[in-house]
Amino acid sequence: MTYTIASSKLGVIGEPFIPADGINVAALLEGGFIVEQSTSKSTKPAKTNTEPNEEI
Amino acid sequence: MATSTYLSNPTTTINSIDTTDNTSAATLTRVIEALESTSFGLTARVYVGGLENSTLTLTMYNSFAASETYATLKALVGTTTTVTIKPTSSATSATNPLSTLTGCYLETLPIVNAALGALDTIDITFTGGVYSVATS
Repeated sequence: MTYTIASSKLGVIGEPFIPADGINVAALLEGGFIVEQSTSKSTKPAKTNTEPNEEI
Repeated sequence: MATSTYLSNPTTTINSIDTTDNTSAATLTRVIEALESTSFGLTARVYVGGLENSTLTLTMYNSFAASETYATLKALVGTTTTVTIKPTSSATSATNPLSTLTGCYLETLPIVNAALGALDTIDITFTGGVYSVATS
């Protein structure tokens, strides 16, 4: 999971935020100081070989 | 007469957030708990050092605006975090050391401390954690 700075009180807005030891990330998220960015990519739906009028 | 002076104007952070512009007083106290080791035959109490239990007390102007005091502190009460304080905003050095409490605990958070015609200020205290100091 990666985080991006969302408040100038924390750093440059838009820059990645790497929490140091002891930093409470949950509190930063709740306060709106950082936003979470998922690193997982969306997957395409599986292809199907069924005919348009074929009953499954 | 003091041989050196500096204008008290520290910079503070709470949980990496710059809280300098909302803070008007700060006291960092390093505490090593005293364990009594007085024994028979002695005529005065003696102590040895126990666990460290340092504190940082801040007086802050309260604000419920985005990215201000309440947003900074609301999710920290009852949890641990890291706080820092430096005597001035200049670069960290031997004469401007950066003190850090890592893993300190915020037990209480005043939500409103209101008086007619006065700014809302709150006093908060971070307790415990590991004290360290950087000079570069």
